[in-house]
Amino acid sequence: MPRELAMFGAFVPSLLLVFVLSLLLLWAFNRAAGRFGWYRHVWHPALFRLALFTCIFGGLGLLMMR
Amino acid sequence: MKAAVAPVEWRLALAEAMQGSGRAWLFVFKACVAVLLTGWIAMRVGLEQPGTAMLTCAIVINPQSGMVLAKSFYRGAGTLVGCAAAMLLVALFAQQRTLMLLGLALWLGLCAGGASLHRNFKSYGFVLAGYTAGIVVLPVLTHPTALFDSALMRVSEVMLGIVVAAVISDAIAPQRLSQALRGTIRAQFTGFVGFVRGSMSGVLERAELERAHLRFVREVVGVENLRSSVVFEDAGVRARSPRTRRLTQRFMAASTSYQTLHHLMNRLQDQAHDESRQALMQLFAVLAEALQRVDDDKTVPVQASMLGLATEGLQASVLARAEQLREGMGRRDLRLDFDTGTELLVRFVGELHGYALAYVDLAGLTPRRTRVDRDETRFTRSNDWLGVAFITARTTGVMLVLGWFWILSAWPAGADAMLNATIVCGLMASAPNPARSADDMTRGWILGTVLAFICVFGVMIHMDGFVLFCAGLLPFLMIGFYLYTRPVWVPVAKGLMVALLLMLEPTALMHFSAPAFINRAIGFSLGVVIAGVAFRLFASAVDNRFLYRRMVDKFRAEVVRTCYGPAATARQRLESASRDLFMRILGHTPEGSDASRELLGWALSVHETGRAIVELRGDLTQASERLMPRIQRAIDAMGALYESPGQARYVRARRSLIGAMRVADAEGDARVLRHLHLLRLVLLDRSSVLARFMLPDASPESGGEALHAA
Repeated sequence: MPRELAMFGAFVPSLLLVFVLSLLLLWAFNRAAGRFGWYRHVWHPALFRLALFTCIFGGLGLLMMR
Repeated sequence: MKAAVAPVEWRLALAEAMQGSGRAWLFVFKACVAVLLTGWIAMRVGLEQPGTAMLTCAIVINPQSGMVLAKSFYRGAGTLVGCAAAMLLVALFAQQRTLMLLGLALWLGLCAGGASLHRNFKSYGFVLAGYTAGIVVLPVLTHPTALFDSALMRVSEVMLGIVVAAVISDAIAPQRLSQALRGTIRAQFTGFVGFVRGSMSGVLERAELERAHLRFVREVVGVENLRSSVVFEDAGVRARSPRTRRLTQRFMAASTSYQTLHHLMNRLQDQAHDESRQALMQLFAVLAEALQRVDDDKTVPVQASMLGLATEGLQASVLARAEQLREGMGRRDLRLDFDTGTELLVRFVGELHGYALAYVDLAGLTPRRTRVDRDETRFTRSNDWLGVAFITARTTGVMLVLGWFWILSAWPAGADAMLNATIVCGLMASAPNPARSADDMTRGWILGTVLAFICVFGVMIHMDGFVLFCAGLLPFLMIGFYLYTRPVWVPVAKGLMVALLLMLEPTALMHFSAPAFINRAIGFSLGVVIAGVAFRLFASAVDNRFLYRRMVDKFRAEVVRTCYGPAATARQRLESASRDLFMRILGHTPEGSDASRELLGWALSVHETGRAIVELRGDLTQASERLMPRIQRAIDAMGALYESPGQARYVRARRSLIGAMRVADAEGDARVLRHLHLLRLVLLDRSSVLARFMLPDASPESGGEALHAA
């Protein structure tokens, strides 16, 4: 995948798109976790959320940049 | 004895004091780390103005992490919208500087007006959308081609600040706002049940009722505001958001009914009505006995489920007891009073039961949860469009005057002054008392400017490298952030922090020029001062009699809306919109003043009447053909009275009520009769705000008209 994408005539780093996508995924997970109470099994929900985001973003980013 | 106890007390006191200040220092530590880390990253990746990123971080950071996330979200959204608006403005008026300023002023004004429509951080997002456009456009006014880079930089800096602040405050030892929300809801429950229990036996003075009403309104609005921030912090609270709203709605319904019940009791206090009053007091004992079954020592959710069990089927027992008491009453003509009171009590018992169930459901004690009806959870805000237009005009005006001055004088710091004045105008637009907030801001601003001067020319000039830069900045940051934790100082601290970081302009390559510093300092400070002057000159409803009157009129108009609006949601609309409006008006009037007392009087009257009209409209569908037009006429007359109160309309409302009551009596429709009687009692109340429209000779004690009817 190219490092930069042209959007409306401006170059956008493709990592930014991955970042936004990861945020969307995290948001979806967060909704589900709140709805079904998954966070009850986690010691520190905020930290867990941050770590999960790092995993998603890191994983997707590495996959894209391969 | 005493000597043995003292050390323990002393240690406890110290522990208690340290617990509070420990939290404060934890926050100071987190905030300093966040700001400095932001600065480091910004310099590392080579952003143009690391100061903006650090400033963003300092602005959004707050001891409660829910607040940080909510504010961050709206700041980010506002920045994006503002940048888009800036692009549009430049695309339209790239060659026309005057038109561009005009367009910018209008955009900023509209955003400030939009901000005043909201109560929580949404309004902050609006302000941001406004002034971001200004910040992005003004530096590139003479060379618009650089706009895109300017906007991109601004977005990157703000986003960086937001992300760092959010991560640090949420991941490192967060202080949860959801605890505060749960605490408030718990306090609301115990406070209300305690109030009901305490007032069951005795008579409540009107002043005390008004105080209680005020407290309940404050709590309701407080819960709603907290909830809107907590949803960003806690996914569980977000999922239960509809349940929280339903709880609020049911609480409002129950508290209004209870108020109405007490007003009825107060009206029956004279000799002539003593018998019906005594009978009602005996009826109260049924509820009082049920409330005794709630154990205070248990946790609040358990108390709620006990209350739910205790009030289960209580309506039937109240009705059964009422039947006995009714038979025992000597005077038949007083039965109508008693019936009205009974109906109110039955309604209240039902609502109390609903409230307890909603609490149990929210706390998650029931195995299977009930579905939440959407209509039941809507909390409607009430806004005055003229007030919005006024705020828009004020903000636009300030910007145009200062822009004109800038163009005429060609003062280099003119743009700073203009922008700053507009920012303050927008930020304070939705504050209850903008002039006072602007004063606090000015004080903080001047303090911050002085601190920045000391920091730049006393400390920074000797510092070399990032580590020393941090060491030099740290003491100043600590002063500012420590003030954040003192509630009294927060408004001043905000101004201080913004001024400090704005004047400091931390960059990888610091430049030191005292004349430039002083020029900017004067520009920014002038902007803040002028915003304060604008608030004084064009006051909001605090001192502005016209706007105040309009707000009161709008308040009364809620009754009119109850008469003619959609019947299905009429009650929710009445309860939430009138409370929201009430809270806003309260913020605009000094405590204990005539205006505030008048307002309280109208608030109680609007609630009571509105609620009774909702019930009457419910009866309309089942009423007989002869009765229906009479009820409709009574509703119309009540609506007209509240639309613009006057003696003629008051008399007409009373007459149409009597007329409707006669027909209802002839038709034998007891339900309608009770509701009409309740409305009539509201009109007859000597201590209500409507009392001034009574004819001087009409004596409500005789109650003659009603007795003929009954």
